[in-house]
Amino acid sequence: MSIIEVKDLSFTYGIKTPFEKKAVDSLNLSINEGEIIGLIGHTGSGKSTFVQMLNGLIKPTSGQVFLNGEDIWAKPKEIRKIRFKVGMVFQYPEYQLFDETVYDDIAFGPKNMGLSGEDIDATVKKAAMFSGLSEKLLKKSPFDLSGGEKRRAAIAGVIAMDPDVLVLDEPTAGLDPKGKALLLSQINSYHRERNNTVIIVSHSMEDIAQIADRVLVMNKGRLEMFDTPKKVFAQADRLESMGLRVPQITKIMLTLKQKGYDVSDGVLTVEQAFCEIVSLLKKEGKI
Amino acid sequence: MSFISASGVKYAYEDSDKLALKGITLKVNKGEFVALLGHNGCGKSTMAKTLNALLTPSEGVIYVDGMDTSDEEVTYEIRRNVGLVLQNPDNQLVASIIEEDVAFGPENLGVEPAEIRRRVDNALKAVDMYEYRTHAPHKLSGGQKQRVAIAGILAMEPSCIVFDEPTAMLDPNGREEVMRTIKTLKEKGITIVLITHYMEEAVLADRVIVMDEGEILIQGEPEKVFSQVNLLKKHALDVPQATELAYKLIGAGLRFSKMPLNTDECVSLLEEALG
Repeated sequence: MSIIEVKDLSFTYGIKTPFEKKAVDSLNLSINEGEIIGLIGHTGSGKSTFVQMLNGLIKPTSGQVFLNGEDIWAKPKEIRKIRFKVGMVFQYPEYQLFDETVYDDIAFGPKNMGLSGEDIDATVKKAAMFSGLSEKLLKKSPFDLSGGEKRRAAIAGVIAMDPDVLVLDEPTAGLDPKGKALLLSQINSYHRERNNTVIIVSHSMEDIAQIADRVLVMNKGRLEMFDTPKKVFAQADRLESMGLRVPQITKIMLTLKQKGYDVSDGVLTVEQAFCEIVSLLKKEGKI
Repeated sequence: MSFISASGVKYAYEDSDKLALKGITLKVNKGEFVALLGHNGCGKSTMAKTLNALLTPSEGVIYVDGMDTSDEEVTYEIRRNVGLVLQNPDNQLVASIIEEDVAFGPENLGVEPAEIRRRVDNALKAVDMYEYRTHAPHKLSGGQKQRVAIAGILAMEPSCIVFDEPTAMLDPNGREEVMRTIKTLKEKGITIVLITHYMEEAVLADRVIVMDEGEILIQGEPEKVFSQVNLLKKHALDVPQATELAYKLIGAGLRFSKMPLNTDECVSLLEEALG
């Protein structure tokens, strides 16, 4: 079943000014409940504008966003409720930490949703657990945490509102390989437990290849592709013409295929590439 | 001759009893391109800040072009000589017109107006942003902004530039633009220290230095360092996917004449192996 449906969605910045610019141009798509969507596109392709329309932070110039079949702008006064259902983690969310303790910071969302004492406590602890923060960190000031911990604390603050759709804008930017792997696996296990819908915006093709069920490619405000990572990343030339890339391992295997070797396109992991090369070598009697 | 020479450098932040640098000894030659790798908190950025005297060692000594970074008399001369480019281009641009932004550094050094003009033009040409000189920075893409930030450093005519994760916030095109620019600067003879988490950038360097817990774990030519797949993985670091694939294939009994570091090298080695 689709949880989000978008019809003829457009947004234009600076209407009737010299800076008028169509950031999102007639998008039509639907996202199924429980999917992990990877959203890619070059800077200025409209990704951020698009995701901000999903929870009503930006009101479309035209077109509609349906959440569980209902137009989110049907009752404009109740748009706040949508923001609890579609949780948004912005770029570099650690700069948005503000409270005295990590605990209070995570509790801010649930409090504003009107939860009371015990419920808040349970929610905060659960969100911290999902984000991989130990209980002893909860008493600390958020400013005393390491970069990776701060990032996870900020994400916990959004997870605490238990949104049906979790949108993460560049969640791994600036993290080292270890922090990146840890964060992606936390997001994945949270997703499996909660079976919610996750949308990840990223410039890291490797991350997207690893985690997404489907990849949404935006170019100049339009929907360019929307398919499985295997099918999307098999089209290296098309992605490159849009200023994007494919993971290095995918590129290696695609080049071999173009040279006439019997390998598949859309290889996404080193493990898979290894297996294919080994079976080729065996067939040829080289090992 | 070595341009940077650090010996036994230790550094502890004021509010911490832990050493961020635990006795680093390091030489960087004039015109060399060095990549500094390691996970967050390993001391790379601290090391970078000691190179232009933003931080001075608690113990040990660093010479930059023969000048002691702890000598306050030469602090400004060192900072002019060693430029620093940071992660977020938006935090590094100060003026509303690009050429004025680039002129900010030399103006503050008290350079003559005609000379400023010459330097600004040269710097913008070097990063391929000359035709944008009268534009406003906020209209540029991330990669373009970062190149303007680099031009601002170039206008001070430094002999060394330290880049602290300059591509972390950029899209794939922006990352390539910045790496192309860095390669051009290297060809002009500028000494480059690049801190990065992207292995495909580190392989472009003459030498890779891997730091861990405030110490140097391993250093050498990219091929030599990235062949140590096990060591790097043990310290939670990545290797390029091309190298990882080759490493696994060697484990399965294949022989390679060298370790591939990028797509092209990997493809041609595989072609050789497959026949």
